[in-house]
Amino acid sequence: MDIAVLVKQSLDVQELRVDQDTGKIYIEDAPTKAGDIELNATEEAVRLKEKLGDKAIAVMLSTWGASGKRQKEAREALTRVLAMGLDGAVLIMGEGAEKGDTYVIARALAEEIRGKFELVLAAEGSEDNFSGLLPARLAAELGWPYVAYATAIEVEGDHVKVTRSLEDFEEVVRVKLPAVISVTQEINKPRVPKLVEIVKAKKKPLDQKDFSPPDEPKLAIKTLKVPKVERKQIVIEGDVEEVAEKLVQALREEGVL
Amino acid sequence: MRVLAFSHYVDLALELISAGKGLGEVSLIVTSDQEGRIGEIRGADEILLCKELDSGDQEGLVELISGLGSEYDVVLLAGDRRGRELVGQVAHRIGASSAVDVSSLSAEDGKLVIERMTFGGKAVAVEELNLPAVISVQKGKFKPLEEGEPSVREISAPSIDRRIEVLERKEKPKVGVPLDKAEIVVAVGRGFKKKEDLKLAYELAEVLGGVVGATRPLAADLKWMEEEVWIGISGVRIAPKLLIVVGASGQQQFAAGIMDSKVVVAVNTDPKAPIFEQADYGVVMDLYEFLPVLTKKLRELKGG
Repeated sequence: MDIAVLVKQSLDVQELRVDQDTGKIYIEDAPTKAGDIELNATEEAVRLKEKLGDKAIAVMLSTWGASGKRQKEAREALTRVLAMGLDGAVLIMGEGAEKGDTYVIARALAEEIRGKFELVLAAEGSEDNFSGLLPARLAAELGWPYVAYATAIEVEGDHVKVTRSLEDFEEVVRVKLPAVISVTQEINKPRVPKLVEIVKAKKKPLDQKDFSPPDEPKLAIKTLKVPKVERKQIVIEGDVEEVAEKLVQALREEGVL
Repeated sequence: MRVLAFSHYVDLALELISAGKGLGEVSLIVTSDQEGRIGEIRGADEILLCKELDSGDQEGLVELISGLGSEYDVVLLAGDRRGRELVGQVAHRIGASSAVDVSSLSAEDGKLVIERMTFGGKAVAVEELNLPAVISVQKGKFKPLEEGEPSVREISAPSIDRRIEVLERKEKPKVGVPLDKAEIVVAVGRGFKKKEDLKLAYELAEVLGGVVGATRPLAADLKWMEEEVWIGISGVRIAPKLLIVVGASGQQQFAAGIMDSKVVVAVNTDPKAPIFEQADYGVVMDLYEFLPVLTKKLRELKGG
């Protein structure tokens, strides 16, 4: 049973600069990386394939165009997950890919996955957008069952047993393969690859394919704005007694005590 | 516009009705397990009662909502985990546009214009969605309506081959007041050196009549606290009137979860910690020194 892991080339939001005054968001300057939860999905795929003796492959569809910088980063992100033990990677990217929406991307990914894999693992949400729409759409496109928020996965023949965490209860479900499963960060602790594994990862097969979505976004037009931060940002100074006193006073004036 | 709504939680369904009424006529799907609460439902034009389907049956729901959905312009689902799980599946099945965790929505020129947070809270995406659209609505953004008794129409569930079987369902322990409903929250981070020290935060919360929440590392990595009290974009998003953040640096994933708080206080030893940019009042001080004094002062105040 071969496993595909969906790895998104996510914007590193910690490094993303926004200008409150001009409202400019410096997307081009921000680096990209594999999302944290995708490292959990990778770890789970590696554990399962080690047990079952099958292959696990990373599949990335980049939506940041095809500049040299973004290509380099995409390859680095894939090297990161390959070093954790995946057998290979598929990188799909192209000029104009940023126009692709989740509908188009799900269809392109399904092309890559159909007939080749029986289990797709993904993150419950991506690092930069956290919508969780893509694995759900991919499942619908493939006609496969979808189970989100997995905290444990066990393979039992042609089924997987998935424990998942919901708001008010934990659920154990048995899902018939093929299936798409998204995981949460609690599922495992991703291994940190050793230097030698990173060196070896660079020699693993990385298959790059071209992607060009339709000219116009099929489903939505998106603009971005910077949310107004209206925090007072007052630092209260003094010794510990004074600071506590001033803070209590300020909170009383705010009417929140 | 014609709006179809569903939530696993009747309370959230009431919020969806309120959101949907701003767009047009609202039909609400009610499943067998929710039938007993039909009397509480106000504001919808119509209830579509499906006695053959339980809300725990994810595949049945996808099938039912996708089947009905093509007759509507907008499908509204809730922002809880199971609500979000449905969005992409239903949207793809009916060839619709989609968005999750929407904080505002309006109809403009035959499109649905929505806003949602993105990039870990650093930006707001304004999206014009072509109809039909399937979206999930952020919790707590719409106030339930009090007027309007809906008509009830029974519908049947489509028959399908199920590939998901629920083997077990275990209730999670209830945490007193849920974080997203709390008026006062004390949020704790890695600045606490050991689990026992959280006592300082609990004492502060107690004197304020609030509850304690945590950053991801404390809840998920160190397991000092229940997962249910983890504040952030992948945890709980809170909106208290007062939030006191103690010993947390203010990582983006956390910052996004506290944006709707009214007044934010930050206590941290590092004056450069990003949390101070997200706070109204900053205290650059060791929490071990500051919290006991603050708790004492508040106790005196509350004690009269």
